Amino acid sequence: MTYSNGSTPPPLLAVDDLSVGFHNREGVVRAVSNVSFEINPGEVLAVVGESGSGKSVTALALMQLHPRNTEITGDVIFDGMDLLSMEDEEMRSIRGRDIAMIFQDPMTAMNPVFSVGDQIVESIVLHSDINKKEAWNKAVDLLASVGVPEPKRRASQYPHEYSGGMRQRAMIAMAIANDPKLLIADEPTTALDVTVQAQVMEVLYEVQEQTGSAMMLITHDLGLVAGAADRVQVMYASRLMETGGVDDVFYRSRNPYTRALLDSIPDLETVKETLNSIPGNPPSLAHPPPGCAFAPRCSMAIPDCAEGVPDLVALDEPGHASRCIRTADIEVAVEATV
Amino acid sequence: MFAYITRRVLVSIPLLAVALYLVFIGVSLTTDPRADFYLCLPRCQDGFDRITEVYNLDTNVWLRPFIWFGEALTGDLGESTTIGQPVTEVLRTRGWNTAMIAVPAFLVSAIFALLLSVYSARHQYTFGDYFFTGLAFVGLAFPSFVLALVIQNIFGVQFQNWFGVKPFNTGRKTGTNFLELLRDITLPAMSLAILFISADSRFGRASMLETLNQDYIRTARAKGISERSVVWKHALRNALIPLVTLWALNFSALLSGSVVTESIFSWPGLGPAFITGLQASDLDLVLGIVLLTGSIVVVFNLIADVLYGVLDPRIRLN
Repeated sequence: MTYSNGSTPPPLLAVDDLSVGFHNREGVVRAVSNVSFEINPGEVLAVVGESGSGKSVTALALMQLHPRNTEITGDVIFDGMDLLSMEDEEMRSIRGRDIAMIFQDPMTAMNPVFSVGDQIVESIVLHSDINKKEAWNKAVDLLASVGVPEPKRRASQYPHEYSGGMRQRAMIAMAIANDPKLLIADEPTTALDVTVQAQVMEVLYEVQEQTGSAMMLITHDLGLVAGAADRVQVMYASRLMETGGVDDVFYRSRNPYTRALLDSIPDLETVKETLNSIPGNPPSLAHPPPGCAFAPRCSMAIPDCAEGVPDLVALDEPGHASRCIRTADIEVAVEATV
Repeated sequence: MFAYITRRVLVSIPLLAVALYLVFIGVSLTTDPRADFYLCLPRCQDGFDRITEVYNLDTNVWLRPFIWFGEALTGDLGESTTIGQPVTEVLRTRGWNTAMIAVPAFLVSAIFALLLSVYSARHQYTFGDYFFTGLAFVGLAFPSFVLALVIQNIFGVQFQNWFGVKPFNTGRKTGTNFLELLRDITLPAMSLAILFISADSRFGRASMLETLNQDYIRTARAKGISERSVVWKHALRNALIPLVTLWALNFSALLSGSVVTESIFSWPGLGPAFITGLQASDLDLVLGIVLLTGSIVVVFNLIADVLYGVLDPRIRLN
């Protein structure tokens, strides 16, 4: 994105060297280690990784919704404001207005004792001057815009009267109620039926396009990302493993972990005997292995992999970077298989 | 909502009838007003027969409750032999006396338990939480008779001119001036309240903690809602749902009279009357009190059910 005078606009969100640690009896568990990234206005950034890789914790830290016994270091600059040094009250005025969040499980993410309409109205009234009646009409319009049928009647219903897919639509309506500049969707389809997942993603991408907000889409499903994300970053064991444009990561991945993830996506065109999976389990974050955290499961690992954590190294394509000491060898491997 | 309440009321009526029937059978089988007469039998046959007739003791025990119910429906609950008044009159004065300490005890315990629950849940594992937890366990560990005696000794004996110790007075505790009444009810109400605060605040803390860890609380915070609104609006309403049952049970237990606390403070409520009645095989008095307290329990369960529906749309709409 360039302005007419040729300068690039400042990013909407700039995260620099963010680390998040949880205190527990054994010490500090580092859930996020030295993560840096940017999101530009209107851009869709997908954050991909297994459970426990630190992607949700990153999002909660941005929103300052982390649990109490948490240690956060680094800088988070959103729209020129330093979120980590903000007072509670200032942060509250940003939550729900400038940054809105959609959570994983729509079955539990809505308060069961308030009607869906009331829960949307609450968010609208909190961040704008309009009265409750106008807010209710707006809530009905929002429900209509995310594809909830009969929105007038459905607005006064309670969450338990909605199906999972409808609830997630309502959550999306609640999130976009104040036209946020950044939408964080934390595994928005993981808890839904497969048949509903595609519909909800479609609604999500539609509202993102309409409102022009930037989106941070957190998922473990690379398939969800391919069509709609601008950029992808892959996380593993609290660190960024690879980051780059969606095509760079999907077609020119230079990281063994990303490639293993891509290999484990079932392919309808080539019938395989078995599904590919990555052997082993992610390491404990309380006792991370020395060196590259993925090395114990990596098919390309060499003894040097255990010697220190590799750096995230910039590659030829702009914005493309990979954390692997064998990046050069992977390139060869890719070309050899093509 | 209306249909829900109607349904609950209709269910309550047979519930009360069956409960009372079973309790009556139990009381009838264990309480024999002729107990004293068996020893002198041939000599006091007249008295024996008279009591047999008054209480219909020659009727089959399974049918006896129906006779009693029939009379009760006409407003006649019989005569208390120990107090020497119609049972309806005893219930009126004693029930009123009990309510005078039960209502303040309930209100105080509900408010304090709620505040402590919210405080402890929001400050989990801090000094304040441990302090109130410890205090609650002390309150729970004290048997009610010890607690009442300790309170009476501290506030009634050591500091005489505050509350004093009263002789037992069977009359109705009204008509006296308000300050005097307040002084009389403070200690017994306090003893009862402390017991209920101790139990309820533990329960309330657990309920509040569970609610505060729910996903929808995080959603509320993500909307930018203030912490006060998150706790007192979003969390409280959900946390109250299990507490309502507890409160209904507590209140009905309090209104049914406390044997120990009322006896220690010489308070002429339902509790001491019930014990006296049982000891003297005063069948009509015992049955009358059971009718009253049984009805209170059923009515308060009904109120709890209705409150459930008010608080929780999932219950109201199913």
